[in-house]
Amino acid sequence: MEEKVLVVDHQKCTGCRLCELVCSVFHTGASNPGRSRIKVVKWENEGFYLPMACNHCEQAYCVEVCPTKACHREPENNNRVTIDQNLCIGCRTCIIACPFGHPFFDVQERVTVKCDYCDGDPQCVRFCDVKAISFADADKTNLTKKREFALKFKELMSSAR
Amino acid sequence: MGKEPIHPIRKVRYLRPQREWKEIIAIYLYLAGMGGGSFIIGTLIDWLGVKLDPPFLPSVVLFGYSLNLSKVPILWGPIMVAIGAPFLILDLGIKWRFMYACLNPRTSWVARGFIILSIFIVLGLILFVKSVLPFKWLYPESFFWRIPEIIAFIFAFATAIYTGILLKATKSIPLWNTPLLPLLFLVSALSTGSMAIILSSLGTGLFSYHSGALKTLMVGEQILVVVEGIVLYLFLARRYKTTEQGKDSVRLLLFGEMRLIFWGGIVLLGFIFPIVLENIASFFPGNTTLIFVAGGLLLLGGFFLRVGVLHAGIKEQIPMHRLMELQYNGMIEKWKTLSEGRLKKENAQKIL
Repeated sequence: MEEKVLVVDHQKCTGCRLCELVCSVFHTGASNPGRSRIKVVKWENEGFYLPMACNHCEQAYCVEVCPTKACHREPENNNRVTIDQNLCIGCRTCIIACPFGHPFFDVQERVTVKCDYCDGDPQCVRFCDVKAISFADADKTNLTKKREFALKFKELMSSAR
Repeated sequence: MGKEPIHPIRKVRYLRPQREWKEIIAIYLYLAGMGGGSFIIGTLIDWLGVKLDPPFLPSVVLFGYSLNLSKVPILWGPIMVAIGAPFLILDLGIKWRFMYACLNPRTSWVARGFIILSIFIVLGLILFVKSVLPFKWLYPESFFWRIPEIIAFIFAFATAIYTGILLKATKSIPLWNTPLLPLLFLVSALSTGSMAIILSSLGTGLFSYHSGALKTLMVGEQILVVVEGIVLYLFLARRYKTTEQGKDSVRLLLFGEMRLIFWGGIVLLGFIFPIVLENIASFFPGNTTLIFVAGGLLLLGGFFLRVGVLHAGIKEQIPMHRLMELQYNGMIEKWKTLSEGRLKKENAQKIL
C-alpha cells in the first residue's frame, strides 16, 4: 500500500476554517473548532493562511517522549503517528516536545489528541472547497513544485531563443 | 518595556513560551530536587560518623517503645520527594492512569522518572523508619544496611539529576536541551538540600556536640551556592548563543516578562541575600535568626529557579515562522522608507 500524506497549498487557502469545523464534528461530534485536530494559522497583516496538521514526522519527538506508548506509529495505516486515547494519561509531554505545536490537549476528554488522517479519509480534504488540502501519495507531493519549476525553465528558454 | 513583547512578530500562536507545564510541575521539580539533595548531604553526614544528639527533640513513645529521633533531621529527604511526587500525578489529565507510565519503564524519561522516584521514596522511607525504630533485632548498625543506603544514595543523585533530564528530554525547547540543565538542577538540589539540613539541624540542635560540623556544612553550602551561580551563568550564556529561541528564552528571563522572577527571585533571594546574610551571621555566633532567614530565602530562590526555567521555555522555530518573520520585517522596512519619504516631503513643503 502506498503511503499518503496531507499536502497543504497555502496559496489556495482562504482561511475559512471549514476544515477545523468538520474535523471537530468528525472526531468529537461537536462543532467546536477549538477541539479540531487541524488549525488554520492566520497572519492577517500578510493575507497569509496556513492550515497546520500533524506532519507525522519520520523521527517523531512525540513518540519518543510518550511515557505510555499511547503515542505510536502505525505503519499499516499510511505510516501515521496516532494517540491511543485509552492509553493517554494526559501528561502533555508530547505537546511540549512537538516543534510544530501539533498535539492538542482536549479539556473535555482530559487527554491529548492529534490528527489521525480520519482513518484514511481525511474530512478536511473532503470538505475543503478550494482544495487547499489534498491527501496525496508521499512520493508525488513535490510534483506541483516540479511542474512550476519546469514552467519557469520553459519560459526562460523560450525568451532566450 | 513591561508589556512590550520581545519581538512584535513573535507574539503569534506558536512562539510564546510553553504553558503546558506550570507551577505544579515546578513544585514537583523543586521538592524532588531538594529532597534528593538533602538525603545526599544527610547520608554523607551519617557516613562520616558525626555524633548526632539533638537535645531539643521531644521524646516520642509509641506502643510502649521510645523512638530514636536522632537521625530524623538528616534523613527526612524521601518524605519531601514523597510529598512532591503526587504533584506530578496531579498535573496529569487522567490522574489514575499514572499506573500506565509505571508499567512502561523503557519508553521515556517520564516513565523512568516514575521508577527512579518510586525506588528512592521506598528505600529512603525504609531507611528513615529503620533509623527511628528502637528495635535491636533490626541491627541498625550492621553492615547489611550499608547496601540499601548506597543504593538510596545513588537514587537520590538520580532523582536530583532526573528533574533536569525530564526537561532536557523534550528536545524541541532550546533553553532546556542542554546537559548543563541537569547539572544546574543537581547543584541547586545540593545547595537547597544542604541548606534545608542546616535549618533542620539548627532547629533541633543536632550538632550541639559538633559545632565544627555545622561550620563545615555552612562553608560547603556557600561553595555550592557559588558553584550554582557559575553554572547558571554558563547555562544562560551557552543558551543565549545557540539558536534564536534560546536567545529569546534568555532575554525573556533576563529582561522580559520573567525579569522579576529572575532578578528578584533567583538572583536576589537565591544567591545574594543568603550569602550576605550568612556572612553577617558569622559575626554573631549564637544568633540563629539570620541563618533561618537566609535559609528560607535560599529555599525560595531554588523554587523560583525551577519556575523561571519552566516558564521561559520557548519552542524552536519552524521554517514557516521564519518566512513570516522575514516578510514582516521586509514590510516594516518598506513602511519605514515610505513614511520617511513622506515626512521629508512634508518638511520640504514646510520650509518652502
